[in-house]
Amino acid sequence: MVDNGAAKTRVLVVDDSSLVRLYYRSALEKAGFEVEQAINGIEAIERVLSQPFDLVIVDINMPRMDGFTFLRSLRCRAADVATLPALVISTESEMQDIAEARASGANFYLVKPVAEADLVRHVSVLTGAAR
Amino acid sequence: MGDSRGGASPPVHITPDEVQRFCEFLYRRTGISFTESKRYFIDHRLEDRIAATGSSSFQAYFSLLRADADHEIEHLINSFTVNETYFYREDHQLRCMTSSLLGGIAGHKPPGSTVRIWSIPCSTGEESYSIALWLLENWPQVDSYNVEIVGSDIDTRALKAAAEGIYGNRALMRLSRDLIGRYFKPTTDGNHQIDEGLRDSIEFTRANLIDKQDMARYRNFDLIFCRNVLIYFDDASRREAAENLYDCLRPGGYICLGHSESMSRISPLFSVCRFPDAIVYQRPEADHG
Repeated sequence: MVDNGAAKTRVLVVDDSSLVRLYYRSALEKAGFEVEQAINGIEAIERVLSQPFDLVIVDINMPRMDGFTFLRSLRCRAADVATLPALVISTESEMQDIAEARASGANFYLVKPVAEADLVRHVSVLTGAAR
Repeated sequence: MGDSRGGASPPVHITPDEVQRFCEFLYRRTGISFTESKRYFIDHRLEDRIAATGSSSFQAYFSLLRADADHEIEHLINSFTVNETYFYREDHQLRCMTSSLLGGIAGHKPPGSTVRIWSIPCSTGEESYSIALWLLENWPQVDSYNVEIVGSDIDTRALKAAAEGIYGNRALMRLSRDLIGRYFKPTTDGNHQIDEGLRDSIEFTRANLIDKQDMARYRNFDLIFCRNVLIYFDDASRREAAENLYDCLRPGGYICLGHSESMSRISPLFSVCRFPDAIVYQRPEADHG
């Protein structure tokens, strides 16, 4: 798994619903990831600028700063932050939203609901933690 | 509130007439109705409050109570409410929530919409947290909706404990070791504090079921858990509470009562819904009253 004595793979979960953050956190921690949380894009930017992460999971519809704006803001930072892999998980399922997420800098897009096993699988692939 | 007595003093004698006056007062303020058979329970709590306030007689205490000096009404209500419950109590209703009720509720809403669930009375939070835990563990669409869970109670002391979320082993007896390990942290005194994320996901507020004005602040719930409280009310208060709860529900929303309670005997407003896991009551869809 991802915890093999070395530092754990760190994931930042960004969603305005505390229950949703808890759901993803619980699934990922069970699989051995270390999880931090943010409630909107602004808080997420502060987090990625102050701590190292291996992946950010971000919702689209959030108050104060939405997922698209967060991604665009992320991608124009210094190289180590700008290249952070980003997985968008949203209820928005229109092609237009997926295309905008891609254009904003998302590496992958999943439509909610996401089962625990699928979440862990995609996070493992995107962080290179998959066996 | 502290005990203002300097030392132990003999309990104040309370006459049957005084108990009756007191019960009438309590009923008017809370809807809770005590009969003569609960005399021991009433006497015991009244004596505690008389002693805690340093009152020299029932009459002195009653004057203080009616004037609501030092929020005595709140202290009194806190001492009269029963706050013993545990996680996953009557879990067939939680199962009904995820296997039957939420399918219907979420089916009428696009993903990303808000689903509002109310636990009233929530006591020290076990039921509210159980709802959140159950959803996390058993509802595959938990991340597709913005679930708002509100826990309300008349007892402010219980609400404070709910927000702290610290529980002993007895409250956790129905939870698996795995769940306790994942969602609780041990405290230094051998208890368990529920995960901060779960504490953040529930809003605890004070509400009085029979206070129409108070209840008007709560609207548009999709699902209400109101278990084992209506049994403490007399018929008139029970009907009043049921009508208030009806107004708090969205059309099509459901209410779960305790296993010994039946809405059919209280109010004709609700439809009875028999699901495989539980009998629940519904505010009819077409009624926009």
